[in-house]
Amino acid sequence: MFVYEKKLQYPVKIKNINPKLASIIISQYGGPDGELGASLRYLSQRYSMPYPELKALLTDIGTEELGHLEMIGTIVHQLTRNLNEDQIRAGGFEPYFVDHTTGVYPTAASGSPWNAAGMAVKGDLIADLTEDLAAEQKARVTYDNILRLSDDPDVNDAIKFLRAREIVHFQRFGEGLRLAKDRMNEKNVYLVNPSFDQ
Amino acid sequence: MENNPETNKPSAPPAAPNGCGAGQGSLPGRCGALAFPFVAMQENNPVRFSRMEALQTGTLFPGLDLPFKAAIQAKTQLKNTALVELMALDFAIDELGLYLVTHSQDQEALQLYWSYIKLAQEGRQKYQELYGPLLQTDLTPEDGYAWLKDPWPWDEGGNA
Repeated sequence: MFVYEKKLQYPVKIKNINPKLASIIISQYGGPDGELGASLRYLSQRYSMPYPELKALLTDIGTEELGHLEMIGTIVHQLTRNLNEDQIRAGGFEPYFVDHTTGVYPTAASGSPWNAAGMAVKGDLIADLTEDLAAEQKARVTYDNILRLSDDPDVNDAIKFLRAREIVHFQRFGEGLRLAKDRMNEKNVYLVNPSFDQ
Repeated sequence: MENNPETNKPSAPPAAPNGCGAGQGSLPGRCGALAFPFVAMQENNPVRFSRMEALQTGTLFPGLDLPFKAAIQAKTQLKNTALVELMALDFAIDELGLYLVTHSQDQEALQLYWSYIKLAQEGRQKYQELYGPLLQTDLTPEDGYAWLKDPWPWDEGGNA
């Protein structure tokens, strides 16, 4: 089950408001490669995993991603506090503001609301772990792109941390695949689906 | 060379005969199966950052520190508050926990993990006496339902 611990994984203390940056960073909240998709993907995939290492990996990384979702929500919240109307207009923030004011809503920077179509649960060990490898790379690229677009050191500090996590997760998913492979048919890993076949 | 969790210094592993070095891992051998994605396996007892460096970098392992060009800048200096120290300790625990999922036989890492868990118990005590409960079920010296109290973690900086 889930227990909440009343602290962030890494400090988020944004000194300067920046609604324009907030409307970019929101993509890591509700965008196709963001933390909401990541956590739901991993926490959903774990049920059909046959080996304990993979159940643990998906549970632990999925849980960590919820903590990252919280950090992104915090960044967006702090970037949009105490806004006046001129700041909203200057930031190009109006389309988001009209529907959500300065609430934190799971959407992509494009305005598309979060969609489960951005994640997959195929119920096959190799397909799901390969999907996870791809997901971590896409998240890493999104963080690279945020770092290109942002020159706020407080924001970049937290974003760098989140990006580094994606690389570590990629490594662990790759290791999970290696461990699984050792238990599968040596000549043909695709003979059966260990997530389904007895 | 032992890593002493008290001194918080980074460690170097004993030289292994087939050691690949910090930024590399092991592959299945000269040949591997076709049509399968191989990620090199991180080796046992890898080189580690100190806990504070690990938190600031985003990983406990120098081998996995692969920064982006737009962000190669002077490492951030986090303040040494009770909260940040606890974050660093909990982060090392999370990182080691993930490592141990795929390296459950690494005895040195397991010992380090338990020693950090014990340290974290003290770290939580210390933090909670200053700032209140971390879990809804934590007992604190406060009167009333301290769990409710501001700041919550997303409020400007929480208690960092």
